[in-house]
Formats: sequence, C-alpha cells, structure tokens
Amino acid sequence: MVSFHEILERTTKGPIMSPKDFDMKVFIPKVREVVEKYTIRYDPDTPCPADDDLADRIYQAAFDLYADVGTYVIDTERVIRFSRKEIEDAIYEAPKEAYFGEGPDRCVFKGRKPDDSEIPHCHVGSGTDTTEDVALKMVEAYGRISKAKTVSIPSVTTFGHLKSAAGSPVETLAGISMMRTGREGLRRAGRPGMGIINHMSSCAHGVSTIAASNPDFGARPSDGWLIAPQAELKIDYSSLNQVAYLTSWGANIGQEAGPIMGGYAGGPEGTAVVATAYCFHGILVARATYHLTYPVHMTYVASTTPEMLYVVSTSGQAVSRNVDVPYYALGYAAAGSATKQYFYEAAAYLLAIQSSGMGIEDVHPNKAVVTNGALPIDSEFTCSLGHGMAGITRKEANQIIKRLMETYLGGIKDPPRGRILNECYDIRTMKPDDELRRIHDEAIRELSGLGIRFK
Amino acid sequence: MSGDDTLKRIEEAIVRGDKERSSQLVDEALREVDPLAVIQRGMTPAMEKVGDLFSSGEIFLPDMMMAAEAWNEAMALLKPKMLAAGERVAKIGTVVIGTVQSDVHEIGKNIVATLMGTAGFEVHDLGVNIPASTFIGKAEEVNADIIAASAIMTTTMTYQRDVLEHLMASGLRDKYIVMVGGGVVNQEWADEIGADGYGETAVIGVRLAKELLARRRGG
Repeated sequence: MVSFHEILERTTKGPIMSPKDFDMKVFIPKVREVVEKYTIRYDPDTPCPADDDLADRIYQAAFDLYADVGTYVIDTERVIRFSRKEIEDAIYEAPKEAYFGEGPDRCVFKGRKPDDSEIPHCHVGSGTDTTEDVALKMVEAYGRISKAKTVSIPSVTTFGHLKSAAGSPVETLAGISMMRTGREGLRRAGRPGMGIINHMSSCAHGVSTIAASNPDFGARPSDGWLIAPQAELKIDYSSLNQVAYLTSWGANIGQEAGPIMGGYAGGPEGTAVVATAYCFHGILVARATYHLTYPVHMTYVASTTPEMLYVVSTSGQAVSRNVDVPYYALGYAAAGSATKQYFYEAAAYLLAIQSSGMGIEDVHPNKAVVTNGALPIDSEFTCSLGHGMAGITRKEANQIIKRLMETYLGGIKDPPRGRILNECYDIRTMKPDDELRRIHDEAIRELSGLGIRFK
Repeated sequence: MSGDDTLKRIEEAIVRGDKERSSQLVDEALREVDPLAVIQRGMTPAMEKVGDLFSSGEIFLPDMMMAAEAWNEAMALLKPKMLAAGERVAKIGTVVIGTVQSDVHEIGKNIVATLMGTAGFEVHDLGVNIPASTFIGKAEEVNADIIAASAIMTTTMTYQRDVLEHLMASGLRDKYIVMVGGGVVNQEWADEIGADGYGETAVIGVRLAKELLARRRGG
C-alpha cells in the first residue's frame, strides 16, 4: 500500500486546485458521470435492495470516482491522487480485522457479508452532547450492556462552569476530562478493558484530540479514533495531524464519513457512490483499521427516510461484498427517545444495515441535536435486535422496513420530541421510569408482530 | 420566435443549469425586450422554480449551483446594458454570510448564500472559519442589512454568540439583523443568544430574511 509518508508527500506535490474547482469541475461532474455509466437507479419501493449486481455497480462507480477525483487537501489546496493499481493494492492490503479493548473485554471486529448469519458487531453509546453531571452514569450504563462489544462515550461541551469552544483550551480540558470519565465509567460497569472507539467526542480540533489522547488520561491504542473528512472527499491538516500521531502510536483509526444526500453528491444514487468511495479514502489517506458511515439527509438530517435507507444499505453492500473491512453505520432518527416512533425508525435502520453486511450502532434520537437525548434503553434495543435478527436477509428486511415506514414516515417532518435522560430515568439507579418501560415494551410487542425477533 | 418564447426558454435553460444556452438566449432576447424584462420575466421565475424544486427534494445542490452559475453568467451580460440604459436591478438587501470561527463546514452556508443571491440579495460570502470581528468589519464595509452566521458543531455554536457579543461591544447590535443556522442550531439557541432569526432549512432562512428585513423597514 502507498505509505503514509508518500501521502504526505502528495499533500504538497499533488495538482493545485481551488476548492470550488474541485467541487464544481471535478467532483460533481464525475459523480454524475459514474451514476449514468453504471446505470445506478433509486427505487423508493425498495429501500433495502437485494440486488448484488446493483451493489457491485455502485462499487465500480465508487472506484472510478475515487481513481479520478482523489482526496482534496484543504490547507495546501492540492489533490492527493492515486492510480487504479494503488487503490487495488490498498484494498487488498487493508486491515481486515480491528482489535479493540484489553483483557477479557477485548474483541475483534470483522467485516460481514450481506445476508450474513453471523451476529453483527454491536457498538453502543453516543458521542452526542451530554451534560457533565450524567456523563459518568451514561458510560457506566452502556458498559453494563453485556452484548455490547465496544462503546462510544458522550461529548461534553463544558469543563465545570467553563463553556467549551472548538479550538479553545477549554476544549482540551473537556476532552481530557471526558477521557477519564469514559474509562472510569467502564471500570464501574466491571468492563475496564472495553474499547472506546469514538475518540475524541468532546474535541473538534486535532490539537485537543491529541492532547486528550495522552495515555496518562486513560487512552489506549486499543481504543479507536474517528477521523472525519470535510464534505466531500476533503481533508485538512488537523485530521492528518491526528493520523500522524495515531499511526506513530499504533492506535486504531476509524474512517468516519457522513456524505450529505442532496449536497455535492446529488441524489440517493450519487450519495451511495460517494459513501462507498469514502472507504478507499479511509484506507489510503486516513489509514483506517475500521470504517463508520452515516449518510445524512440535507434537509431532514434523519437517516430513516426511504432514500437514506437505500443509500446506507446499497453502499454498505457495495463495501461488504467487495472490501472485507470492519464497517458499521450510524443512523439518526427524527423522533426523540422514549417515543414509539423512535423504536420504529431505529428498527428500520438497524434491519437495513444488519442485512446489508454491516456492524450496528445505536440509532441516535432527535437527529442527535438534543442534549442528554440518548438513552441506555436505546442501546439495549440495538443489541437485542442485532442478536435476535442474526441471519436476516435483505429481502426479508426490505419487507419489514416497508411496513415500519408506513407507521413513521408521516412523522419525519414534525417528529415527537420525546424525553431526555433526566426526564425519564432515575439518574441514581439509571433505571427507566414506568412510562418509558411501558412505551418500550409496547413497541417491542408491536415490532415482534411484524416479524422482528429480540434476544 | 417571440420575445415571450425566448424568455420561457431562458427560464428552462437556467433551471437546467445550461449556462451556454441561457447566455445565448439572453443575447437573442435582448433584440426584442429590454434587460429588465429578461430578468423579471425569464431569470427570476427560473430561480424561483429552482428554489421550489430544491425545497421539494426534486433537485439537489449541484443542480442548484449550476443554475446559479447560469444565472450569474446571464446577469454579467445584462449588467453593462442596464448601466448604459440607466437601469438598475433592485436588490432586496445586503447580506454578509459565513461559517463561524473554528468551523470549516460550508455546504449549508453555500446553499443559503446561493438562494439569497438568486432571491435578490447582494451576498458577501466570507467563507468558513470566520472570526466575529471579520463578520462585523465586512458588514460595516458594505453597509449590510443582515449578518448570517452558520455553525455545524456544538463546540462552534458558541462563536455565533461571539458575533452578537462583538456587535454589542461595538455599539452596533441594533444596526444589523443577525441570523443563525446550521445542523445543531435550533430556535432555543437562537433565542438564548439573542439572534433575530433562525432558519431550520435554507429555504426557510431566505424567507425569514425577507420578512425580517421588511419588518425592519416597516413593511
């Protein structure tokens, strides 16, 4: 595979281009071209297609796209380009397994295939905004979910009475504090070795991320750090600095990407292609050992509309059929937690990604914008569905998803807000109140009636 | 071909984002109608249609950007002729827009800037990672009506508050309408920091900008 040193060389020697030219003259026309060339079509009636040929065409389109477009470096206004042979070699040599955690809590995360009978990698938690007073309890609650293999820890935007801001020293202190909180929460849950794979949720900048990653604060190379691009297929020095640090340390790097449906990638077809192309960028530029995708709808943000399910399902299939890497997806529900609509949206998304050959993560409620909006019961739901539905095929998933969508699509534009952790949990015991338990149990009963199994 | 036919074709070419064709048709139209009519009856309806199609999810950002490019190119042809004829395109107002400090996300901001430009605002797009003082300096320089600040992360929202606090510190708060937007921003936050408006989507944001401006002018 092309070395990281060679990547860095290309950041300063690649072709010079303005960001606007990259978007308008290179990226957008090429996406359109490959969508047409490979006749990729979106069918709203099939949010989770069982079409291997479509998945492979999306893969080929993504390959062509990345081979022509490459990755744009914002700081140097240059493009890192790769030959087709270099991309092929990278796919062949890409890490096929990621090892997270230590001791009895150590686990391996491998790639799956569409319609796979294996239980998917169950990742729980949320890097969404959380207040400091409940963050420790949240992590502890996540750690207690025995089916969960790895965890995301919350993002806090305060350090005591100080408000954090991107790039400020308070962000560094908040990141360090959350690193320690995450480790302590897992120790309290009796799983001190569990891998935290969303570092640094409280830090937007490379400097604060690297500072908070000092092992003295609890970070371990067997955790995972998420490296995000800018939309689309762009990277900056802040991210590349993190890659430089993490590769020197031998830590796990996760390529995360949230291509925007309706943005530069265009409609669902182009977004599926771009989501797939991020895998190549991840292997080569971000030096990823695992991959996270979370395509978002430009207007609704939610990931549970038919076009978004199509995007994540088909790009997931394209990757899982053709590149054998640890790959999982994160979705955003329109509805808030503690609502029946949330469980229906979450079920639809989880079925789409699980049957398409991906690992699963909690669907984040309220489009992940409400502080303390994520609940441990959401994580229990994720794992229970993931285990219960092992072996589900895309065809079966598609049928169930269509019935689920009938119940929630009307509520996407104006979704129920639901309740936040402080409103429906006893924070001391971290137990849900009776009303939440009732809504959850009722949703499980109804979903079981649709053919969804929970274990 | 009649002038009306040509104007209709201009509208269609702009909606398609075909800048060569739309410019060629603008040249043809000018033989029969005046520049202002080309804008009002050909180009403006085109961008209204583009806004509607974008809003309903029938077209996407690349289509809208290409339409805007076609519109801009046609405007570049018309402006000298309008100046020569002593005409001018009435602008709704002037907007200074950017993504706040430490935030490099641009797509949402670009959509709002494009829609505002084609809705008749004079738009000064500062780009991304913009300090509060730069927003204000530019607003003062161009005598803006509106400052629009975008933020996409919980850790950069706080820089939207900075824009308002800098305005207050400079004694300029009442001079400008301040609008905020971005993925993590909501009305609650806009109220908390004392912004004048928040648009959940780009289309809503542009509509609100017009309303706020009309209200300020006593409309």
